[in-house]
Amino acid sequence: MSDTAAAHEAPTSTGIDHKKLIMWLFLASDCMFFGTLISTHLLYRKLFPAGFTDAEGHQRFIQNLFNIELTSFSTFILLMSSFLMALAVSAMHKGQIKSFRRNVLGVIFFGLIFLGCQVYEFTHFYHEGLTIQNSVLGSTFYVLTGTHGTHVAIGVLWLIMMYFYSFTGKLGGHMGALDVEIAGLYWHFVDIVWIIIFTAVYLVEYLGPNGIWGTGLPAVAK
Amino acid sequence: MSSSHEAALSPDFLAEEVRRYHHFIVLALWLAVVTGAEIVLIFLPIPVAAILTILTLMSAGKFFAVILWFMHLIYDKRLLFWCFFAGLALAFATYAALLMLFSVDRIDTRWFS
Repeated sequence: MSDTAAAHEAPTSTGIDHKKLIMWLFLASDCMFFGTLISTHLLYRKLFPAGFTDAEGHQRFIQNLFNIELTSFSTFILLMSSFLMALAVSAMHKGQIKSFRRNVLGVIFFGLIFLGCQVYEFTHFYHEGLTIQNSVLGSTFYVLTGTHGTHVAIGVLWLIMMYFYSFTGKLGGHMGALDVEIAGLYWHFVDIVWIIIFTAVYLVEYLGPNGIWGTGLPAVAK
Repeated sequence: MSSSHEAALSPDFLAEEVRRYHHFIVLALWLAVVTGAEIVLIFLPIPVAAILTILTLMSAGKFFAVILWFMHLIYDKRLLFWCFFAGLALAFATYAALLMLFSVDRIDTRWFS
């Protein structure tokens, strides 16, 4: 631990603010939650690599639906929002409220862009025939990315409230900086989950001529 | 923020914050470059196993870079790292357990349809 951190040590038995400790424990539990969703998606992709059947009865493959440019763009946007969030937390620690507001507005803006990309993607997939009900792929994909999107939406709402709260003058001092840091932890967590989803759900589908899972049906036990 | 809080900030603390600020900028650039490299990598004509390994390492690198620097774990108490790591380890254990339970190459998928 650095000297700076030691100088701001909380008067608790662990030396860590309770709010911060609880937030980290929550993030650890959310890690397990997303771990289960990602595992389920990957396992079912292995079990059912054939994709899905659209409304007209045609066999479709997810590789043809994904738009890597759009997903890469939204990934970049989320990474940069994480950077702005780190700057917002840093500004709050230094007591620079105007800088904090500027950076938080940037995070909110980028978060909304990310959500817009996800809404566009979901709408596009739905019109192409991939629904949450018509295939295992649809179920796991929408549940996983939808849960992540919900987390992003909650983060955006949280930051909007924090932005307006900063004008009341109550978001000050050490406790104010701590509140911003906790919101920042949540936002960064949303970002790291997307780092995994981007690789495990999107990029791996482009590996090999037929995607990493292949396009044939899996071997059946005798 | 109250001016009393601002005045209470020591020069050492402010110097540390400035140092972190530079770390954040370097890290953001690094994350952007690695993400770009990931996208290029999937289209390269090299064995799938090699790409998968590199992708996994790159993702893990980005993941830990964000939790260590952006989430301040490198500057904070070790206990926080272990709290989070416990959740992370359980998540991986869940995946490993599911893989073993399902033994995916021997599953009769007709049971599901």
